[in-house]
Amino acid sequence: MAAGRAASETGSRPARGWTRSLGVINPLRAVWWLFTNVRFAILLLVVLTLISLAGVLIAQMPANVRGDAVLEADWLAEKEGTFGFLTDPMDAVGLFDVFHTSWFTVLLAVTVVSTGAYVVSRFPGIWSAIARPRKRVPDRYFELAPHRLQIDGVLDAERLEAGLRRSRYKVERWQEGGATLLFADRFQIAQLGTLLTHAAVIVFILAAVVSRVDAFSSGLFLAEGTTLPVFPVRHADQMQVQLVDSYAEFAPDGQPLDYRADLAIYRGGDEVLRCSSTVNTPCSYEGYRFYQVAYFGFGAELAVRDTATGNVIYRETLALAMRSPAARLRIDDANGATLVDRTVVLPDTLEVNDEPYHAGLVRLEDGTALTLLLPEDAGDVDELRIFDLGDSPETLRLAPGESVESGGLVFSYLNLERIPAGFVLDLPLPDSVESGGPLRLQMSNVVYGTDTISEGTNVDAPGSSGEPELTIVGLTSQAVTLPAGGALLVDEYEYTFEGQREFSGIDVRRDRSDYLVWVGAAAIVLGLMITFWVPRRRLWAKITRGGASLAGQAAGQADYTSEMRRLAVQAGAELAEETEDDG
Amino acid sequence: MTDNAADLLRPARTRRSAVRRWLYPLAVIVAIAGVIWWLEARGGGGDSSTGERYGPVDLPAALVPAGASIEADEGALAPDFLLETLDGAEARLSDFRGRPVVLNFWATWCAPCRKEMPQFIAAYEAHRDEDLVVIGLNLQESESIIRPFADDFGVDFPVLIDRDGEVGDDYRLLGLPGTVFIGRDGVIESVFIGPFEAEERGTNIQGAIDQSDLEQRIAAILGPGEGDGGW
Repeated sequence: MAAGRAASETGSRPARGWTRSLGVINPLRAVWWLFTNVRFAILLLVVLTLISLAGVLIAQMPANVRGDAVLEADWLAEKEGTFGFLTDPMDAVGLFDVFHTSWFTVLLAVTVVSTGAYVVSRFPGIWSAIARPRKRVPDRYFELAPHRLQIDGVLDAERLEAGLRRSRYKVERWQEGGATLLFADRFQIAQLGTLLTHAAVIVFILAAVVSRVDAFSSGLFLAEGTTLPVFPVRHADQMQVQLVDSYAEFAPDGQPLDYRADLAIYRGGDEVLRCSSTVNTPCSYEGYRFYQVAYFGFGAELAVRDTATGNVIYRETLALAMRSPAARLRIDDANGATLVDRTVVLPDTLEVNDEPYHAGLVRLEDGTALTLLLPEDAGDVDELRIFDLGDSPETLRLAPGESVESGGLVFSYLNLERIPAGFVLDLPLPDSVESGGPLRLQMSNVVYGTDTISEGTNVDAPGSSGEPELTIVGLTSQAVTLPAGGALLVDEYEYTFEGQREFSGIDVRRDRSDYLVWVGAAAIVLGLMITFWVPRRRLWAKITRGGASLAGQAAGQADYTSEMRRLAVQAGAELAEETEDDG
Repeated sequence: MTDNAADLLRPARTRRSAVRRWLYPLAVIVAIAGVIWWLEARGGGGDSSTGERYGPVDLPAALVPAGASIEADEGALAPDFLLETLDGAEARLSDFRGRPVVLNFWATWCAPCRKEMPQFIAAYEAHRDEDLVVIGLNLQESESIIRPFADDFGVDFPVLIDRDGEVGDDYRLLGLPGTVFIGRDGVIESVFIGPFEAEERGTNIQGAIDQSDLEQRIAAILGPGEGDGGW
């Protein structure tokens, strides 16, 4: 019992607690004292606040840099411009990655334990006061109580009890030693409000710990029709995300208006969810949220079939993330009939007068082959050169937007386009084809956004002059262009451009601390409301023939003495003006 | 003055009974253990038609020679498993005892797996008459995802589905693809992590002399004098 008493008193008498703890050389008790010490808890919270502030004010290492020695070194070198010689010491103690340091986690854990110990240590006392309130007080308490009232004269105990009950007190009255004793109690359960507030602090810190330890985030980049797992290899919560369809809408100027990804989520071999995901309205399944965070519109699905077996041996959707210049060309005849109006891909490279050019061919219906040249680093003002390999050796030079008549035809160079392009390294080739390195792919007439074909001319919103086409360079002696669904047979291999595909970036996240934050928020609001707004009262009365003494306790700064005077008057007391001795 | 008044009201502390002191923490510990057990035990890879749970199973005692170890290491007996096939049937690894087995762990989302798949199809075609068994062990995917891929690529060897990944765990799979070569005696001949590279083009003559890595490993489990011809 003595030990318990010491523990309960040490909150207000630290020196005594330490002395006792050290006196009996009981480290466990010393630790318990420390953790239940309210000053220690406040100190921890202040330190945590200051550290968090530092973590907010000092630029923190980005997630994609953390863990990569080279990137970290580059990032720190950049920070030396700001922090100078302090950079290394700051990095050593983790000030550039505060929230992921082990000491921050330890500090959080100690704060949780401390706050928890504080609540636990206070709970028995508070509960005892609620469940087994002290109904008798020493006579001296009527002289020392924070709220007290001395009545010289008659006080009707029955009327006092009735008045208290009307005010929602629970009342007990009994006779003892020739006096009437009364104990009244109101809203004592509200004492738990303080504990609720403390518990909320624990819940908040626990939420931070849960978020730190348990939070999961993974980025997936999916092409339409493809599937990726949420976790690398095997996991108990393994799920697969399939991008059923990717949507994007664009304004006529190419500005994005909306992105959406239709997803199918698989788990344990079954499709468990089919949903649409956007940046702000993710799909949710079992605590995991699937946000669309990125869109990429230029993918080409390419398949290779071995005609000898009939089996597909290659099927990939390739992201064409590079750009290649192309010319939007129109050719009209003398009668005004349009012979050509399309984006001309320039898949080859030529050198003319030691200058590198992108080159492409346009064949007219009469068999005439025109060679188009654009400087390798063509800009919006560079001229398109057209060589007629037929009868006329003349070279046409057209600036963007310019039209020139030649040989009875009107050539119009409408604009420069930069079409999606890329390389493919692992495309299966028949034995007859000598590999000259990676094959080059260029996709023209791309649709940017499923529902809207933008009219712009820049890289982000290329114009469209027909169905998407894929030009493959390196597969045959000349570049070959395939329409969507078109196939090319090279020996026993059949190459098929299945069509343009879109990609969506899906961020998969799980943070179960969300629930704790909600519980903590509810607890702290409820706790504060109870603590500040519920009028807790406790009253003791000793009534004799010669007079009465009242003592009371009230939460906060309530003027309970005045309430006691009102109750006494209702019970028949005749009171003089309020005196200082009334408390 | 208030402190003194408070002292007057401080309730006398009572010693908590030993039951209360120990019972509550014990109840909390039991509850936490129960939650952990439930989290671990839930789910599972389904049950077979005989009520046996799909996943790793004990190797029948009759197939375990005295002193033999069972683990996913070269020289040890291959751990047994029972899984459902893509066709809705079920297959047990030990049912193939007496035949050489190529066990390929894969998934449709795994690009290197997709790339090497035609080699396994070709190998199976080339050696199926020599009793070679190729098993495509798909990791945790749905039939509706696997089926189109298998049809597209012409996968005609058995595809087994490891729904909860426990067989992958049993074989200590750290990444995909991974391939285990098992001899006729059920002993693991070799383990290969990563994709098998396709035979280099333009080296057909040399290729006829030098077998690819996959060919060599298959030849090793087919036995001497067999499987030397490539495919």
